[in-house]
Amino acid sequence: MKALVFIVSRLYRDRSAFLGALIILALVVVALAAPLLVSHPDAAWAMNPQVRLRPPGGEFLFGTDRMGGDIYARVIYGARITLTIAVVAVGVSLLIGVPVGLVAGFYGHWLGEVLMRVSDIFLAVPQIVLAIAIALTLGPSIENVILALSLTYWPWFTRLVYAETQSLKNEVFIEAAMALGVPPWRIIVTHILPNVASPIIVRTSIGMGFTILTAAALGFLGLGAPPPAPEWGRMISESREHLPDAWWYALAPGLAIFLVVMGFNLLGDGLRDILDPRIRRAQHGRG
Amino acid sequence: MHAMSKDLWARLSTGLKVGAVAGLAALAGTAAIAPSPADAKGRFVFANESEYDTLDPHTVWDVGRVAVRLNLYDGLMRWQNNPPVLEHWLAESHTLSPDGGTYTFKLRKNAKFHDGTPVTAKDVVYSMERILALGKGAASQFKKVIEPGAAKALDAHTVEFKLKVPTQVFLWLTTEIHVVNSALVQKNEKDKDWGQAWLSKNVAGSGAFKLKQFDPAIGFVAERFPAHFKGWGAKYLDEIEFRAVKEVNTRVLGTIKGDFHGAGGYMTTDQLNKMKESGNVNILEEESMRIMLFFLHNQRAPLNDVNVRRAINYAFDYDGFNKNILGGLVQRNPTPVPGNLWGAPKDVGYSYDLDKAKAELAKAAAKIDRPLEIVFLSGFSQSEQAATLMQNGLQKVGIQSKVVGNPWPTVVDKVQKPDTAPDIVVYWISAYYADPHNWIGEMYHSGQWGTFKAASFYKNAKVDELLDKAMKSTVQAERAKHYEEAARIVTNDAAGVWIYNTKWYGPYRKEVKGISFSPIGSAQEMRTAWVE
Repeated sequence: MKALVFIVSRLYRDRSAFLGALIILALVVVALAAPLLVSHPDAAWAMNPQVRLRPPGGEFLFGTDRMGGDIYARVIYGARITLTIAVVAVGVSLLIGVPVGLVAGFYGHWLGEVLMRVSDIFLAVPQIVLAIAIALTLGPSIENVILALSLTYWPWFTRLVYAETQSLKNEVFIEAAMALGVPPWRIIVTHILPNVASPIIVRTSIGMGFTILTAAALGFLGLGAPPPAPEWGRMISESREHLPDAWWYALAPGLAIFLVVMGFNLLGDGLRDILDPRIRRAQHGRG
Repeated sequence: MHAMSKDLWARLSTGLKVGAVAGLAALAGTAAIAPSPADAKGRFVFANESEYDTLDPHTVWDVGRVAVRLNLYDGLMRWQNNPPVLEHWLAESHTLSPDGGTYTFKLRKNAKFHDGTPVTAKDVVYSMERILALGKGAASQFKKVIEPGAAKALDAHTVEFKLKVPTQVFLWLTTEIHVVNSALVQKNEKDKDWGQAWLSKNVAGSGAFKLKQFDPAIGFVAERFPAHFKGWGAKYLDEIEFRAVKEVNTRVLGTIKGDFHGAGGYMTTDQLNKMKESGNVNILEEESMRIMLFFLHNQRAPLNDVNVRRAINYAFDYDGFNKNILGGLVQRNPTPVPGNLWGAPKDVGYSYDLDKAKAELAKAAAKIDRPLEIVFLSGFSQSEQAATLMQNGLQKVGIQSKVVGNPWPTVVDKVQKPDTAPDIVVYWISAYYADPHNWIGEMYHSGQWGTFKAASFYKNAKVDELLDKAMKSTVQAERAKHYEEAARIVTNDAAGVWIYNTKWYGPYRKEVKGISFSPIGSAQEMRTAWVE
């Protein structure tokens, strides 16, 4: 609790990180309250070809798309898809990556080597390429995007946790615990995990932004949620045929992606400054 | 899964190559000194929507790759002009035996292959045997009317075809007997493959243009063949290039800029208008015959229930699609026969009416207990928009569905068997020959199952009988009556959801002249064109 108060008070002082936190808070609120923010429950899926490609204003705040759908409602509901993808994919990556990193880092030897070489294989191929391959093989759907992103993102956590665990392992307090006969799993959970929590939190926040961007790229390539799901990347992809005349078509989903990714990155940077004194930015010029 | 990942790598590598080519083209375009390739005198560059994966004229029968067959090869007959007329091409004349079962073609004496050797009867026989042996492209239609070994060279310039059954379909199909240089192909045969490997990358034809360069990832370049039997006008093209440019925006912008002289693909109003407004592009407009429809799987529950199919017919917003989304570029066509062709019934069809749809559903015996799958052709935004609009309509009457995109080759594979065919799939049936048989005959006769035209797996004994009668008769008025009656039954059975019949809109740079259009081949025969 004290730690939380500390983090929040520090965040408040770091203006850019605070802005990031506000953006993310707004995203969560929009995603949860989506039905309250649109005129009627079907607004994001309703098609009305008679009013296709209308510019913003009047009845349609952000204009309409090629099927006469309300872009405002679609962007609002798109927040749900985006947030679901990011939270689940990063969550699954955490669940795989952190335990693997802890075990590999703590035990070392052949088990650690094997685990790390497996993660190296994943890291050897650019994430987006691997994610495209997986999503294309499994077919376009939200579940497969989540699967593709989870399968390709966990090694980042493994790398991070592995390195931290290895250096912690030789600390005096761990050696003391081992000498006292504390079982290894208990050392990992009660002594090592809390000490590697900070970099994990930072990585999670930055990873959310990264995952949203990759998910949008998959959607843009037609590998995300099938139509008519209001997915931001897909909306931008559809808009290409109507640019530059229907400029509003890409604007709203584009801005949404931009803001959310920036929000997570700002928050991640801020959290790193607070939680990891070693790599703190030289901010405010006061050192 | 393996096939899919292979497909991915193929796509990735093509993407990289195309990207590299586009990059180079962009560089060339920015360098002021280097003339853009499209500007060179007498050179015509066409941006095609699909790739030229093979140059073999006997293994494909579609519109996407028709430029190869029309420019590099010649058939016995050819469709010309609009409305299309079947003209003698490599054949000078033909006779039909009184029983209607034997066609005899006299060949022109002045036709030469690109290597200078004359086109003779043995080349025609070899080409016919090759089509039947390979079993691809138009072979499925040929096999219904002719057996291997039924073509005979009576002398150097006379060929006789003895048909299995007397039918006039054969005469329309002779346009697809693209005659290959048999001596040259045989020289390049490997393991009795009928020269398939070699002909996929080389040309052994007599067409008006002679292959110069070919890359499956880019397209082909061909130069004028001065000795072509048709002769040449005062003005002509020295060189043609057909390039695969999959991204529609690149085709549009490239045509506006002058990188391309013409562009293919089913463009939307917005794209055509953009090109027209640039002032550099003429949009040629022609009456055509190409119908767009949803194929409903007539054999699979719940779509095997006629009431369910009728409900689906009432749930599609035809006007919203034809008038609003496509901007009125198309004509509502409520039956499986193009409205501007004889044999189309006049007073039938469905309209967008959700109440009627619900009433039909109430009458239906079948329960819709699963989401229906609606497949569209990935890369064709019109097809995708039609599928989403259909889903939207179905949603309103309480039918759940999911929309899935598949590439064209995958769709062609899937619709070969009732087990793998999707519930609902939307695409076009173009004119391969100008007869109702091209549409209703090949689409709804139960003997045609297995081709992409018959993806509905419709079976009705009465319709089969009418279509057979129409094929046997040679009197058009009588045939028209049979086709009309069959079309009424098929429409009443709601075997599919017929959306529109389109005009043809060809965007060409203003300096391009002499484009000649025929609904069969969509104006991709470049023999008569020139650049000013």
